[in-house]
Amino acid sequence: MLLAPLLRLLLEGVSDSPLDMLRGLWQDDYLRWRVAWSLVQALVTCFSALLLGLPVAWVLARYDFAGRTLVLRLLMLPFVVPTLVAAVGVLALWGPRGLLGGPLGLSLEETPWLLLYGNLFFNLCLVVRAGVDALGQVSASRVAAARTLGATPWRAFWRIEWPALLPWMASALCLVFLYSFMGFGLALILGGQRYATVEVEIYTLVAHELQLAQAGALAVAMLLLTGAVALGYAALEQRLSAPARADGVAPTRPDGLRHWCAVAAALAVLLCFCAAPVIAILLRVASAGAAVWGVLLEPETLLALWNTLRFTLAATLLATALGLMHALAARRSLWLRAAALLPFLVSPVTVALGLLLLYPQWSASLLLLVSAYAVLAYPFVAKSIGAALDSLPHNLLQAARTLGAGPWRCFWRVTLPLVAPSLRRGMAFAAATAIGEFAVTLFLSRPEWVTLTTLIYQRLGRPGDANRDAALALCALLMALALAAFSLIEQPVARPLRAGASASRTRFHA
Amino acid sequence: MLDIQGVSKTFRDADGAAWLLADRLDLSVGRGQIVAVLGPSGSGKSTLLKIVAGLEPSDAGSIFFDGADLARVPPEQRGFALMFQDFALFPHLDVCDNVAFGLVEQRQSRRHARARAQELLAVFGLAAHARSRIWTLSGGEQQRVALARALITAPRLLLLDEPFSSLDAGLRTGLREEFVQRIRAAGMATVLVTHDESEARAMAQRGYRLTGGKLYSLW
Repeated sequence: MLLAPLLRLLLEGVSDSPLDMLRGLWQDDYLRWRVAWSLVQALVTCFSALLLGLPVAWVLARYDFAGRTLVLRLLMLPFVVPTLVAAVGVLALWGPRGLLGGPLGLSLEETPWLLLYGNLFFNLCLVVRAGVDALGQVSASRVAAARTLGATPWRAFWRIEWPALLPWMASALCLVFLYSFMGFGLALILGGQRYATVEVEIYTLVAHELQLAQAGALAVAMLLLTGAVALGYAALEQRLSAPARADGVAPTRPDGLRHWCAVAAALAVLLCFCAAPVIAILLRVASAGAAVWGVLLEPETLLALWNTLRFTLAATLLATALGLMHALAARRSLWLRAAALLPFLVSPVTVALGLLLLYPQWSASLLLLVSAYAVLAYPFVAKSIGAALDSLPHNLLQAARTLGAGPWRCFWRVTLPLVAPSLRRGMAFAAATAIGEFAVTLFLSRPEWVTLTTLIYQRLGRPGDANRDAALALCALLMALALAAFSLIEQPVARPLRAGASASRTRFHA
Repeated sequence: MLDIQGVSKTFRDADGAAWLLADRLDLSVGRGQIVAVLGPSGSGKSTLLKIVAGLEPSDAGSIFFDGADLARVPPEQRGFALMFQDFALFPHLDVCDNVAFGLVEQRQSRRHARARAQELLAVFGLAAHARSRIWTLSGGEQQRVALARALITAPRLLLLDEPFSSLDAGLRTGLREEFVQRIRAAGMATVLVTHDESEARAMAQRGYRLTGGKLYSLW
């Protein structure tokens, strides 16, 4: 489902010769601009996310204020908000008649800012979360030693904390680059004609121009670039897999105006970049009046809701089975462990195109669609369970064996209950992925398999305020579904398996 | 009863370096006997217990119990109980279900298993904690739960791996006497592994030191 389509894509993309293919891409001004812009917007997103995210992470890690725990939990929110909802949220905020764009008279359409803002909505939280987790790993005694040796707080940060943070930040920025570079939904809606990315170009070449060879060549070029970044990410991940440090710096109450200003500034950054698009959707729907909710009862919406739910359920179950098997098998194989990352590193557009090329006879098959959903979602389950299995004390299983439990009974009575919170978390992320899936659905779906995301896209393409408001109401519905998954994800784990061990390290990877 | 004959075990680390943990070891333990194996950390004491329990394979040698070779008997069918150094209590189960675990694995009904566990907990002075979670107990209470869990199935052989190492000195002495009484009352063969000679002398009829893969008789 993943490797075979990729190989097929490689064959399609390098039908001439690899050098000819790359030369062809480079000599085409239009495609060169697409590739260059995709790179630039991803790099700018990385730089902006680091610049804004690191100070916010430091404030959240070091100051203990009322509501801090809630803020840390809400940092997960953008991860479960479907990309299409985020795109609509950005338009509701900064579009020509947006909450801020309208009164300020700003016209950001056909500019790069909408896409960059959308990228930050998703990726700022990722950098902040990675930063908070990394700062939690910084040894309190080393910071204290630096201070007693004459370092100011800033020097202590620069000489002690920053070197410890660096690999975490580099790891997070690799992901930010990959997500921004491979992003499809945001680029399709916010990029417009000029600032769409390579992923959108691949979709256009396949869906509108039927130029499979050129699409294949572009997809291969993307794979080469993302593969290089992915290798760096995998190397950093290996370096970060050490056990959690027990003597982290404890957050303290803000003391004085300067500290409180720092807290307020951090919250303002999060409000502006991570919460505002979601709030904009809710405000626009609320101001549109009760009539707009009528769209939720239309047969088209009910069909889309039904399809979204059944595809999500089927994909989540399939992803759970795949993820569980992968995690158990990967305990003995480093290669299998690395392979769990592969679906994260291949864009949904690439997967869908590869599937189309490999299985043209099944292009409108429900099994293929659900399987593609599951392939994209199962790494969440595999990674979550894999981390839990790693932290499972081996002697618990040995104790169960000496108490009369065979291998299968051990799994059923000890392993499964202990990894259950991680399994639930992985399933919830898989479900959130399936709920918001958009790219694969556009490629492989049939008209009668319309989902909420494709329905929103259709509504956005139709003229008139009524359609725009209907799209907003559908976004609110989709967000409610995603939030249901979010509440499942953030159920607190009752108890760590052993003191000092982080049973489910919350660094988020997708 | 337990008869260890010529058991050898070499440990290799990731760099390929090898340590001889057991070199053609022989050891016998009779019914109702407590035998102590002493030695410094890393000498292979715990590995020896795991080999006897069937959790680790030996490189050579045989283990017999009541004359039967255990080479092909998996750990769950040996009828032994191993009490781990850190107790290895199941964090997802309460105290009563931890103790009842082995009876459930013997296909006894959960109701009956819990009733038996309650009886045993009462004997160990832990009846009030039956529904408590493991992490709410003190170190000494956790240790009693671990012993109750090991004893409930009336194992043929009890293997104790540094059972008192995580307790403070005061608690250790009191629990040691209680342990010996209960083990003797149950009348089972016991192998005690420890690095504390005074503890071993207080509990065991025979004592050996494991050094360089060899067992040397101490008393």
